[in-house]
Amino acid sequence: MERTLFHGSTAGKQLLRFPHPDQRFGPRRRHPCQNRCVKKLVFIPAWNEEKSIEAVIADAREHVPGADIMVVDDGSTDRTPELARRSGALVASLPFNQGVGAAHQTAYIFALRHDYEICGQLDGDGQHPASEVARLIAAVENGADLAVGSRFAEDANPGVPEYRSTFARRLGQRLFSLLVSTSTRQTFTDTTSGMRALNVRAMELFAERYSSEFAEVESLQQAVRAGLVVEEVPVHMLAREHGNSFITPLTSAFYIFKTLIVLLIGQLRPKQVGQ
Amino acid sequence: MSFLIAATEPVVRLTPQARILAAILAIAFMALILDLIRRDKLLERYSIVWFVLGIGMLAGAIFPGLLELLAKALGVRDVTIALFSVTLLVLLALSLNFSVIASRQSKQITRLAQQSAIDGVEEEAAAVRPGEPAQGEKKAPPEQVPR
Repeated sequence: MERTLFHGSTAGKQLLRFPHPDQRFGPRRRHPCQNRCVKKLVFIPAWNEEKSIEAVIADAREHVPGADIMVVDDGSTDRTPELARRSGALVASLPFNQGVGAAHQTAYIFALRHDYEICGQLDGDGQHPASEVARLIAAVENGADLAVGSRFAEDANPGVPEYRSTFARRLGQRLFSLLVSTSTRQTFTDTTSGMRALNVRAMELFAERYSSEFAEVESLQQAVRAGLVVEEVPVHMLAREHGNSFITPLTSAFYIFKTLIVLLIGQLRPKQVGQ
Repeated sequence: MSFLIAATEPVVRLTPQARILAAILAIAFMALILDLIRRDKLLERYSIVWFVLGIGMLAGAIFPGLLELLAKALGVRDVTIALFSVTLLVLLALSLNFSVIASRQSKQITRLAQQSAIDGVEEEAAAVRPGEPAQGEKKAPPEQVPR
């Protein structure tokens, strides 16, 4: 028996076929991490985040007790994978940098294969407090298929200082949210948020197809179109601890243009059926 | 209807020199393709289309009537224009085809990379805690949350 990873009817045409885990290892062998917890996986996509990765792992471990923690190392050339391993996280190392989308998808495939039921994700640069991810996971436990943390939603923890951003970035954010909200007929205020939690339904959808360059923005559209319950949860995020964003006005203008095209094409794609 | 008849007869034709040159180039091109296949630099799959193109070039050089027919069909007076436009279209189609192939391969490469990453985690986890296979009973597959 061979199955593709996914159950969708169109799946598997161009995809490599993954043998079922039962087949790959002969008699079914449980993954060791399942002995600690069978339910939740928190993963951290990281590309050269050696300065912050250990703190992020510790934070995740503290605030999402009982979850397995995995770092998806997207072809880092620094010590990210070593440090993550030393902190006791599982490390999935992509052999070369593939973009954030492929990293997310790696985690979804892994999670599906090992019967995780809920997957939480936070960035490796320390911007996402794990306590907030725990709230997203709670939202998924309460029935959402995909919960997205939003920095800009109305009632983000009052009392916590506002997330600071430059005017240009805020403008870009507003434009994205306008585009996505229009195309999905659902209000999204933070479309580029990489702080999420999702269940098996959403993981299956994204394991089948997931944009590599426009992962965050396009996946919202994709999920809503497939009939998934997508919930935006107000969260509070921190300023970057290390590293810089490479966004300049010109590249962001180009990015917005590309995103517009991607969303338009997304509207024309055949709908994936959420199971 | 007279405006449609403007270009019924091709008047600008290829000169004999041009035809000889084209024939030589076509033969050299096909020889190059053969050599590339022979040295394993080109998969047969991709070579066929190039070979057909070479044969087309040769045919056009040897039988000028073919090109004139083409020009007539396209409604241009100049045979070279017909040649150029057809060549451009063919190249456009080919490069689009290669973009499609490149996209497919890039998707496959991503899948391979993901597979290798996941294999790595599984191996590592098995090495860290060996001898814990199949303990307890097999967990039922996760139930999908009904909406």
